[in-house]
Amino acid sequence: MTTRTRYFVIASLLVIGVGLGTGLVAYFVGFPAGAFQRRGGPEELGLVPRDATVVAYADVHDVMTSELRQKLHSALPLPENGQRELQEHTGINIETDIDRVVACLNPDGESSHAPGAGMVLARGRFDETKIEALMREHGGHVEEYKTKRLVVADPSPSRPGTFALAFVEPGLIALGSARLVRNAIDLHQTGNNPQAGLESVTGNEELMNLVRALDTGNAWAVGRFDALTSHAHLPESVASQIPPIAWFSVSTHVNGGIRGVIRAETRDEEAANNLRDVVRGFLALGKLQTGAKPEIETMLQSLQLGGTGKTVALSFDVPLQVFDLVSGLAKKQVR
Amino acid sequence: MLWSRRSVFLGILLGGPVVLAAIVRIVVTLYARGFRINGATAAGSTVFGLMIWLLYIRFIVPILGVFFGTALIADEVDDKTITYLFTRPIPRRAVLLGKYVAYVACTVLLVLPSVILVFFLIVPMGGSTIAAEFPALLSDLGMLAAGLIAYGAVFALVGTRLKRPLIIGLVFAFGWEPAVLLFPGYLKRLTVAYYLQGLVTHEMPQDSVVSTILQRFLEFPSVPVSLLSLAVIVALALWLAGRAVEEREYVLEQ
Repeated sequence: MTTRTRYFVIASLLVIGVGLGTGLVAYFVGFPAGAFQRRGGPEELGLVPRDATVVAYADVHDVMTSELRQKLHSALPLPENGQRELQEHTGINIETDIDRVVACLNPDGESSHAPGAGMVLARGRFDETKIEALMREHGGHVEEYKTKRLVVADPSPSRPGTFALAFVEPGLIALGSARLVRNAIDLHQTGNNPQAGLESVTGNEELMNLVRALDTGNAWAVGRFDALTSHAHLPESVASQIPPIAWFSVSTHVNGGIRGVIRAETRDEEAANNLRDVVRGFLALGKLQTGAKPEIETMLQSLQLGGTGKTVALSFDVPLQVFDLVSGLAKKQVR
Repeated sequence: MLWSRRSVFLGILLGGPVVLAAIVRIVVTLYARGFRINGATAAGSTVFGLMIWLLYIRFIVPILGVFFGTALIADEVDDKTITYLFTRPIPRRAVLLGKYVAYVACTVLLVLPSVILVFFLIVPMGGSTIAAEFPALLSDLGMLAAGLIAYGAVFALVGTRLKRPLIIGLVFAFGWEPAVLLFPGYLKRLTVAYYLQGLVTHEMPQDSVVSTILQRFLEFPSVPVSLLSLAVIVALALWLAGRAVEEREYVLEQ
């Protein structure tokens, strides 16, 4: 063996050895992408309880100022009752006051109310005095909880004191289920303390792996699929046809259109293959039927099925032209 | 074998995916918008899967097999050095087998580092994690090694049996195999690619409506069937190649 052949063999074996060694450490120890990746997710996740079944994030400012939203807003003057109702009750204007939100859905231990208890952590600019006064006007009362002011309201007479709003820190409010809001304050003050039964979702490795795997979109959601289907009241014939999906995640980037990735983690590889087959069938059918509509065809061409093992991923890109088409059709129907 | 002009060219060829992966990674890092396929953001694992399919399985592995496999004996004939090998007190098939083992070692040491570098450059993009994709990398490395072993054996047979083995090898790898795989029926079982595709864990790229529809109806053999079939192909091809070397009379042109 010549010297340079020896060097070649050593270099090759070194690359293979270091590569496999790093991969093995990553696989068994569980560091996400080696030394190259962040902890994953926004810092507000540290206030979401560990048992959250669905976690969602939206960069509200980015979405509200997006070209798509402006276009939809001018083309389709949709009723914004929810937005107005929130502003009337709490004084929070979603468009101007909020920068980003993290929302979660947790199993509701106190009642069997579907779909469980929810909480929204909103970061932005809030007028605390105005918000508190408005909530008092609507029947809310102020409580002190661990040095934080908690405004508790009754969303309905049957469920008194189940809605609360708290100013967790300057520029951060928590609103939603009173139990979850108190939990968020606990987590904010003491941090993770599993021994005391207080742990945030950042300790849920399975969910956090999915959060880390999300694209750098301005809106995403991750959750347990059964948490959705159990409250969907689907007919038995439909429910039995749904593949056994354990986790789902959706990551989107809203700007001049919507692009993103939908991922599903199935229980086993066979289920993933079946799901891929189903999606592939629909894609082929869709692509065959959209020859005459170039806008839809562009969108369908962008659908890319991927994923390995138990993961099925479908990336998509809905261009602005598709929304133009939809808004045109909607206007025709209104006329 | 390792330092011939052909090997240097193929080394550059294998560096191509690494350079491509590095460029993609730099662009994605600079612009932070993710890698996009048909306008949609794709995860690093999806991009890596595409590279494995399009660059390695469909191009690099067959071309390495063709260039090195056909050259095992043919080069010695062309260089008129085969006499020196065959006058050694060892069976002729042992010479072939030794050269074949050297081919496997060289190509595996060329391809696997290239794949590993591409994996570490591409997979951490778009949110995929090395930890989650590591099992897929292991199966890819195994699959590519199996492909190199199988193609090498088949083209070693071509090199010992036929005249102009390089042209015939290229026609087989880039004409016969891709064409036959598209036809329904049993002809595809006469290819190496059919069994190799049974070992791939990544989703096949859907580059057109036709490929999407075809993919829907394509059948892949199971992993045990693929491995067994590849083992049979290798054993049969090497045995026939060995026999050809033993029986054939090589007349060296003066």
